[in-house]
Amino acid sequence: MGKQYEIPVGAQHISLLEPLHFKFTTVNEKIKSTDANVFYVHRGIELACCSKFKFRQVSFVVGRVCGLCSISHSTAYSQVAEKLLKIEIPARAKYLRMLVIELDRIHSHLLCLSHVAENSGFEALFMKTMQYREFSMELLEAVCGNRVQYDFAIVGGVSRDLKPEIGQLILKRLKNFMPQLEELVDIYQNNWTLSLKNKGIGVLTKENAMRLNVVGPFARAAGLAIDVRNETEDLLPWKEVGFEMITDTAGDVHARNMLRLREIYVSIRIIENIINGLPESALITETKAFPDGEATVRLEAPRGELFYYAKGNKTQILERLKIKAPTFSNVAAMAETFSGNEYGSVPAIIASYDPCLSCTAR
Amino acid sequence: MKTFFKALGNVLKKPVTTKYPFEQTYKPDDYRGLIGFEESLCIWCRRCEMACPPGAIVFSQDMEGQQAYHYNRAVCIYCGECVRSCPKEGALFQTAEPAPCALKAENINNGWNKLFDEAIASREAYAAEKKRKAAAAKSGEVKKDTENKEGS
Amino acid sequence: MKKIETTIEKLKSDIADFYKPDQHHFMVMNAVDMGEKMEVQWFFSDYVYPCETTCFFAIINPAEEIPSIKEVVASAWVAEAELVDLMNIKIENTEKGFVLEPDFESGPLRKKK
Repeated sequence: MGKQYEIPVGAQHISLLEPLHFKFTTVNEKIKSTDANVFYVHRGIELACCSKFKFRQVSFVVGRVCGLCSISHSTAYSQVAEKLLKIEIPARAKYLRMLVIELDRIHSHLLCLSHVAENSGFEALFMKTMQYREFSMELLEAVCGNRVQYDFAIVGGVSRDLKPEIGQLILKRLKNFMPQLEELVDIYQNNWTLSLKNKGIGVLTKENAMRLNVVGPFARAAGLAIDVRNETEDLLPWKEVGFEMITDTAGDVHARNMLRLREIYVSIRIIENIINGLPESALITETKAFPDGEATVRLEAPRGELFYYAKGNKTQILERLKIKAPTFSNVAAMAETFSGNEYGSVPAIIASYDPCLSCTAR
Repeated sequence: MKTFFKALGNVLKKPVTTKYPFEQTYKPDDYRGLIGFEESLCIWCRRCEMACPPGAIVFSQDMEGQQAYHYNRAVCIYCGECVRSCPKEGALFQTAEPAPCALKAENINNGWNKLFDEAIASREAYAAEKKRKAAAAKSGEVKKDTENKEGS
Repeated sequence: MKKIETTIEKLKSDIADFYKPDQHHFMVMNAVDMGEKMEVQWFFSDYVYPCETTCFFAIINPAEEIPSIKEVVASAWVAEAELVDLMNIKIENTEKGFVLEPDFESGPLRKKK
């Protein structure tokens, strides 16, 4: 008969990157149940977008909801505003948006992998992954002009063009990165001490994934083949540039690591296809209309499915904007996945689920 | 085991850190920097002020009708919307130099809030004054017309 | 996007008839404040290509209590907790204090008179 404890992993914790709060009820180190809440970083962005900012300025506001998936938010908002204005963007703008989304995916997955390594106790691997990630930040600065806030997707198209020498620089740096990626795959797969902390920990089965409506790499590692790039083709041509769905069956932390590494290979191939086949056209579609009606858009951010709903009323200011972040869908599954695990593996599980609280409690 | 020996080997290599600011980091030549203004080409339509998302550009007006341009580099987000909305090519342009840090003496936050309110108020005062002069001129004309008619 | 109208009485049975865990995916709940009335929306999508978004909506009086769909859809408690905090509406079996602090004045997204 064990003793029952209630342990909080609070908003400030030495291994938490994001301000979540969990309260675990444990019996002698095994977790029985969890309580969660997320009220630490609410900033009122939906209210500001419907009262203070005009609809063309909202794409810059919404890009600042999250620092890691900034391009996904501004692209999704631009797409929903274009649906409300009933305009089509030129072909070159579509391919440039996809290029920056895939570069963003590479840097975000490498960041998540490095945090899983750090929380499992392997600091040298954390430093090595961060060192290998630096080239992607420099490439994003070359394409968009800035490292973290891109301000790249605007209503009607994109704001900057891709110069041919920057395209060649991207291809050269990706070729340098491939042997480094092979080295990382080797370590994450075969290192024995890392597997003790990662294999069989934080398991999510496929039935639970379907029942709890999880999204992103969290779901794909459990065997559920769900990816917005596979389901919608009307706004961005993913299948044309070589997208492939990757799934795994084990559902534990190790499977999620390997899945993220394999997704980086797919992203590199998509980027090479886009640069070699970029069409020539204008960059922006001009219009003087006002948004009217209602529309929805779904997009695949690095962490899962992002959903936007907007309603306009023929003025410069929108009537309602609703943002659903991928972590919002995963919170319910997160609270259930902890049961049965030991309290010491909680940091590694939280890092592998890749939370982004700025998106969740905007 | 391989990783252990590699980690030991790293002791002999030099670190990867860039010793900023003594060594410079990678900077592209179309980095999004400060906004420049060419006064002789401006037509004072104020479209840049309406397009700016955080409100970093404001125009004030003195009593003769001459407008003046004010820009705050700490509020600006360097997105380039003002450059795209300007109808005259070359009046507003984006350079590639990063913004320098602000000193305490510049009073860049509270001083800007006061300047913003004063600039909007000065424009409204000029518009009200113009309306008053137009109404006075119109009633003065009507009075002169009626005097002429009575006189002749 | 396909929009299907429903009412408070028929909500649980409509969603229980429609939702199948291996075919459909519950995304989020939303509420639009239209002054006197409020439109509450439930969004679903499906797992095959070409995917279609289905939206169940109900026009209600803001003071009425909406039934909860937690027994049908297991992960809906997160979306319901968010709407109770931000829009100050009543949902069965849901308390405040998930997205906003418990002692914060609730309903910041409602239209101010």
